[in-house]
Order: sequence, then C-alpha cells, then structure tokens
Amino acid sequence: MFGPWLKNVVPGRGHGKPWLAAPFAAAFLWLTLSLAGAATFTASLDRDVVPVGESVALSLTFTGTSSQSAPSLPPIENLQIDYVGPSSQYSFENGKVNSSITHNFSVTPRRPGEFTIPAFTVTLEGQKLTSQPLTLKAIQAAAPSADAINSGSQLAFLRLLLPKKEFYVGECVAAELDVYEHSRVRNLDQFRLTAFPADGFSLGKMVEAQDHQAQVGNAVYRVIPLRFPLRAIKTGSFTAGPVTATAVVSIPSANRRRDPFDPFGMLGGGMEQKQLTLASDTETLQVLPLPRENVPADFNGAIGSYTLAISAGPTNVTVGDPITVRIQISGHGDLDSLTLPEQPAWHDFKTYPPTAKVQAADPLGLQGTKTFEQIVVPQNADIRQIPPVSFSYFDSDAKSYRTLTQPAVPLTVRPAGSVAMPMVLGQNRSGQDNAPPARDLIPNKQRLGGLVRLGPPLVRQSWFLALQGVPLLAFVSALAWRKRTEMLANNPRLRRQRRVAQVLRDGLIQLRQLADANKSDAFFATLFRLLQEQLGERLDLPASAITEAVIDEHLRPRAVPESTLAPLRELFQVCNLARYAPIKTRQELAAVIPKFETVLRELQNLKV
Amino acid sequence: MTPSRLLSLPRKPRCSWAIPAAGRALVASFPRSLCVVFCALICFSFSAAVRGDDLTAGFDAANKLYDGGKFAEAVAAYQNLAGSGQGSAALYFNLGNALFKSGEVGRAIAAYRCAERIAPRDPDVQANLQFARSQVQGPSLAPGRWQRWLSALTIDEWTFLTAAALWTLFGLLILLQWRPALKAALRNYVVTGALAALLLCACLGCALAEAAPARLAVVIARDVSVRSGPLDEAKSVFTVQDGAEVRVLDQKDDWIQVAADPSRIGWLRRTQVVLQ
Repeated sequence: MFGPWLKNVVPGRGHGKPWLAAPFAAAFLWLTLSLAGAATFTASLDRDVVPVGESVALSLTFTGTSSQSAPSLPPIENLQIDYVGPSSQYSFENGKVNSSITHNFSVTPRRPGEFTIPAFTVTLEGQKLTSQPLTLKAIQAAAPSADAINSGSQLAFLRLLLPKKEFYVGECVAAELDVYEHSRVRNLDQFRLTAFPADGFSLGKMVEAQDHQAQVGNAVYRVIPLRFPLRAIKTGSFTAGPVTATAVVSIPSANRRRDPFDPFGMLGGGMEQKQLTLASDTETLQVLPLPRENVPADFNGAIGSYTLAISAGPTNVTVGDPITVRIQISGHGDLDSLTLPEQPAWHDFKTYPPTAKVQAADPLGLQGTKTFEQIVVPQNADIRQIPPVSFSYFDSDAKSYRTLTQPAVPLTVRPAGSVAMPMVLGQNRSGQDNAPPARDLIPNKQRLGGLVRLGPPLVRQSWFLALQGVPLLAFVSALAWRKRTEMLANNPRLRRQRRVAQVLRDGLIQLRQLADANKSDAFFATLFRLLQEQLGERLDLPASAITEAVIDEHLRPRAVPESTLAPLRELFQVCNLARYAPIKTRQELAAVIPKFETVLRELQNLKV
Repeated sequence: MTPSRLLSLPRKPRCSWAIPAAGRALVASFPRSLCVVFCALICFSFSAAVRGDDLTAGFDAANKLYDGGKFAEAVAAYQNLAGSGQGSAALYFNLGNALFKSGEVGRAIAAYRCAERIAPRDPDVQANLQFARSQVQGPSLAPGRWQRWLSALTIDEWTFLTAAALWTLFGLLILLQWRPALKAALRNYVVTGALAALLLCACLGCALAEAAPARLAVVIARDVSVRSGPLDEAKSVFTVQDGAEVRVLDQKDDWIQVAADPSRIGWLRRTQVVLQ
C-alpha cells in the first residue's frame, strides 16, 4: 500500500529531494517493524445472561493488525446475529505501536435457552488463530407479579391491553401498550422496545397518547399509553407477548446529601440512574377464518362496522355528460384498505377510476369516513337512474356478513343536442339532500369570436422588435442634441464660428442675388461685411474692427502665406475702390464671387 | 397631383369591386401611391373577412355535429378549422368539449390550454379546464400560484404592457432632455417608470419562458408507464393517466423525459403526449 508513495520519495527514483526521502523511509521501516508483533484473536460477549429479545454485543478483536476483514459467523438457530461495524485502536507503549481492530456484532436470542457461539478460526498474516467458544444464556423476561406491582416496589412496568381475544383473519383492531412509571421516577429515558412477539399478527405504527395518572395498589403511577393497530394475518392460536423493553430511569438517591447550591434537587444532584428491563404479560389469542357461508357476492374483504351513504350530481344531464357519484363509508375498521366494490349494474355507464379520501377520526385511522368519488358517464338516453349501490362487509362483533345498499338515484338523461331542462336533484331515501351537483362542462360557445393568427407572439416578430428601437433612437437623438446645445453654450468661440458660417452661407446667396440684380453698392457693402465677419472670427476680434490694416498687423505676423494675403488685400481694395468707382456690369460683380470664395476657404483653413 | 395623372389610373383597379362609390371618391383625393396601399388594405381586409366567413360557417357546422351527439365528427371539424392558421378561444373551447365528450380527457385539456392562451381570463375556459383536470387520476403537474398569475395575461398583452412602459419611460427621458428644468418635477415619475418597465420586462421574460414551445406535455393515453430510461425495456418508475400534465425536461429520439413533480421523473414515448 505504500509502494506508490515510496516510489516518489526513494532517492534517485522520484522527483522529490533525496534528503527528504531518508527520514520518511526510516519512519516507514520503523512503523512496519513495530507493527509486526505477535497477532492474537479473541471473542467476547458483554453479558452472559440476557432476557429474550434483548441484544448483547459480541466483539471479535484482532490485535497486531489493523486490516483484518470481518469474519462471517455461522447461523445459529433462534439467535439473530447482525454485524454492527468495526472499530480500530492504536497505542504507543514503550516505543512500540500496538494496533487492534474489533468487529462488533449484535446478538439477539429469540427464545429462552442456552446458546453456544462456536470457536472461530481465522488466518491472520499466515497464522491460524482460533477464538474460544462463548455461551449465552437467554432467559424469559417475565412480567412482575401482581403483589410486586401492588406493593409499589416496581419503578416501571408494561401492560398489554387488547380489546378482544378472538379475531377474524384480516381484522384490524386498536391495541394498547401502557408504560407505567412510578411517581418516584423523575425521568424515564432511552425507552426502547426490544421484543414484541406476536406471531400471526402484524403491527402498525405506534402512536403515543395523552398520559395520565393511575393508582395501582399503594403507589401512584404515570401511565403512558402507546396505541397501535393490530391486524390478524393468519388463522390459528397464537401468543402475543411478553413485550419487552429497556429503559433508563432516574430516581432520587437514597443516601444523597443536601446540596447547599441545589436544595430542591432542581439541578439533578443526588439522582441515581437505573437501567430496567420491562416485560408485559402474555396473551393467548385465537384467529378464526371468515365464515364461508352466506358470503355476499360483492364482499371484497372489508371487516368492521360501517354505514353507507351515496349522493350524485348533476342528475339532469345529456348523454356523454359526466356525473359524480359520491359514496361515503363511515364506521370503524381498516379504512385505508377499504376499496369500492365493482358495481355490475353500472354497465350502461362509462366509468372512470374512483378517487378516495379518508377522514380519520382517530390517529390510528381505524375510525372515520372514507369517501369515494366515482365519475360515471351515461351512454344512452334510456337511462332513468343510477342503479343502487351496495357494499358488503363482515361484522366481527355480530360474527356475520352484512350488505348495505343505497337506493337508486333518479336521473334525467337527454339525448345529445336537446335543450337543457331545469335541473332537478335526485334524493336518496334517507331524505338527505344530494350534495351540490358536481360541476359539469360549460356548454359550447355559439360565436366564433375574435380570430387570432396562430403564429409567434409579437415579441418574437422582428418588425415589432425594430419598432421598440424608435423610442431608444429618439432618446439618443435628444441626448445628443442636448449635449451639443450645452457644448455651444459653454464655448463662445465655437458658437461664433457656427454663427459666422451661417452668415457666410446666407451672405454668399445674397451676393449672387445682388450680382444678378447689378446692385454694386449693396454687393460690395455685403462683401466687406462678410470679410469682416470671417476675419473677425478667425482673429477673435470684433467684426467692426476689421479693416485692410489687419493684414499687416495680425495676419502677416502669424506667418500667413502671401498667396492668401494677396487676394485678400485685393478684395479689400476692390471694396474700397467700389465706393468711389462702382463696377457697373453684372459679369464683373459675378467674377468677384469665386475670388471671395477662394479667400474664404483659405482663411477657414488657417491655423491662427 | 394633376387631373391627368388621376385619369392615368386604371379605370377598374384590382379589387375595385370591393370599393364602394364613396370609397372611390376618397381614393380620387389621394396620391397614386396611397391609392395602391389603400387598395391593398381593402383587398386584405376583404379576403380576411371571406376567410372569417368560411371559418364561421365551418364553426357553426361543427357545433351542429356536436349538438347532434356526433362528437368524433365534431372533433374532426373543429380540428380542420384550427388547422387553417387562424383560431379563436371559442374554437379551441368547443374542440375541448368535443374531445372530452369523446372520452379523450388529455386532448381536451390540451385544447382548453390552447383556448386559455388566447383568452386567459375567460371564465368558461377556466371552468372546463378545471373540470377536465379534476377527472385526471394519478400524478399530474399542478400550475403554481406564480404560473397562474403570469397566465392571467396573454404573451401579447404582457408585450404591450412592457412596450407601453418602455415608451413612457423613454418619453419621460426625452422630455427631460428637452426641458432639463423639469428634472426635479419628473424624477419620481422616471424612477417609477423605470421600475415598472424593469418589472414588466421580468414578467414578460418569465411568461415567455413558461410559454416556451414543448415545455409542457399532456398525456393522451391511458395507464402510461413512465420509464427510468428512453427504452421500452427500462423499468417502469410510475404510471400517469390520460390527461396528466407533465413538464418536459429533455427529448431524445422518440422519447421525452418528463417530470410529474420534483420526485417523479422518467421517460415516455412522444406519441403518448401532446406537447404544448
């Protein structure tokens, strides 16, 4: 098992550092040698005498090893042996490692007598080891005598209460196991049933009922009732009990000293714990077969005492309409196992499997009401009634079969397609009103209603999804518009630049119109104003302050090329000249516009 | 638009027989392109009306079959109408009734569910669906409270509500961009609108997930053994009855994996269910 690990730590063979491998190898060698002591094998029981039904612990201990598997024990008649599990121990003693493994078994005798657990032979590391045989004596746990109980000397005892001694096979009754706890007992803990011999019967789940006080002899006991269903499953004479149990009780210590810090014993001081083995009396019971005479045809195994009620609705129907028949069986018996018998008279109806619901009146489910709901569908319009419903059971008290029958429920069945008649509810003979009619199908709709195209929903259609982009786009546009507005508001230079650009666009149109109209004065006045606007914006000066002088004062110092300055100067001079010698012809005015546009472009490209 | 251009229109346009005199007068006042669109709309409406008339006649005929007790024939007639690409809640409702009367509870539940998707608040549909469900024995998937709440509206209704909330929200946001001074006054409306839009988006997503195709199945056969694997030889895990509703978890070849509840999962044949 250490092979792969060693492979990595042995020098020269693995990837680890060689100086680390040496101490690990030494430790492993030491551990191996230390463990290699003489192996032993022992078997032991924790007790030699035990009441029937109570378990003792069998321990098979192997020393000198820690990997021995559990041996299989031979079957012993009337002795139940169950494997519990292993436990390992390691100890260091004088530098030597001792290891052992113990395999634990639970051994439970099923009848009184003396049992011998034979010697086992196992092979351990090449040695054959044999354990010693063990003897276990099983005694019958007996209920305490009446004198012992009446004297009040019993701290606790059990009583098995059965309602009857004679049963019929399949019958189910409520039985009770009472735990009596003496008033001296402060606490009863770890209560565990160890045996409940009841051949011929099956036990249901136990339910703890409300406890109460009872006077037995001269002592007062607290009685804890444990109720359970008891069902007879085969015929014959059987013995129930003794029921045995173990419990740990706490009682005040006889020689306790008064604790100054706990004068009333509230903190648990001065208490003594005792482990008790409890046993009840034995009861002899008879289980009889069900009589074979006068068995009703529809008897399906129900035993107890019951009543039957039936209701149905609606009772005015069309062929094919469902009718709900509600059948209630009330009484005492095993309600869970009750089934609705076949009703052969319902051949004119289509039937569906019935649903069932139990309303138990006691925690064991042996008293209450079981309600079946059966859907039946009339198949033709000749049906006039729901046939009588019958239910048969065996009354174990009267020792005879009984058949309960409810009368037929009148029905009005119309052919399909006929006009609905006013609904009349049927009544049973007991005079009880029928239950509210079961909800029926709501009739067909006569109008087709609004047609819808059976296709993907709107949200999966691309045009609709695209339409949802409209508000988003509008919002993005509004956001951009607002950002632009804010940017302009915070940047007067840019604002002027945009205003001047607009002025120039309008001015150029105006220039063309003036040239067409041959209005020389207005043309050059506009041209001069546009030059002022453009230069003023580029030089960040008031437009009114722009004259031809800015060429030498502002543009030339900023290294504006002469190719730009010369036409600009020429335009200024043309404007000045026009004031005194106006150009008369339309062509001459129109020829100025391209020059002006060229100058504007060059000015707009200037890096000033 | 000149009179000569108007005169250049065909004297008897396609489907002009569908346009009354007043309509033609109206057409005369529109540009030509609008006239074409108008004609197309009229033609479409008319053909839809013709189709609607056909469906109504077929619906009435199917109802007569049903009233005559010919449920199987009525089922066939309703199914024929449903296969036309158009349908209504009443059509599926009546189909469900006919299927139920034919003893096909599972298919009836599937039809009622179709009707419920078109008209989720129709009390008749709800009543018959509940009634059909009450006939189903054995394990079946019961819709939870959240699912019932989601199914109170159709997917398109959820879509309209969500779109309206989104449009309102963006409208408010646009108004804020246009009139920033209203920011303080509109803040609560914007927050409420955003929360409503978010919530409705989530609801729409959940409703879409619930209504996803092949998410639910209705068993249409009796005593169907749900098996531990997609094989006929696999062990039967539990049994479902006709009409049981199950959630579809997976599909493999001719088998689907279903869950009737978290502890009951298994495989059954695709032919034994109707996928919803």
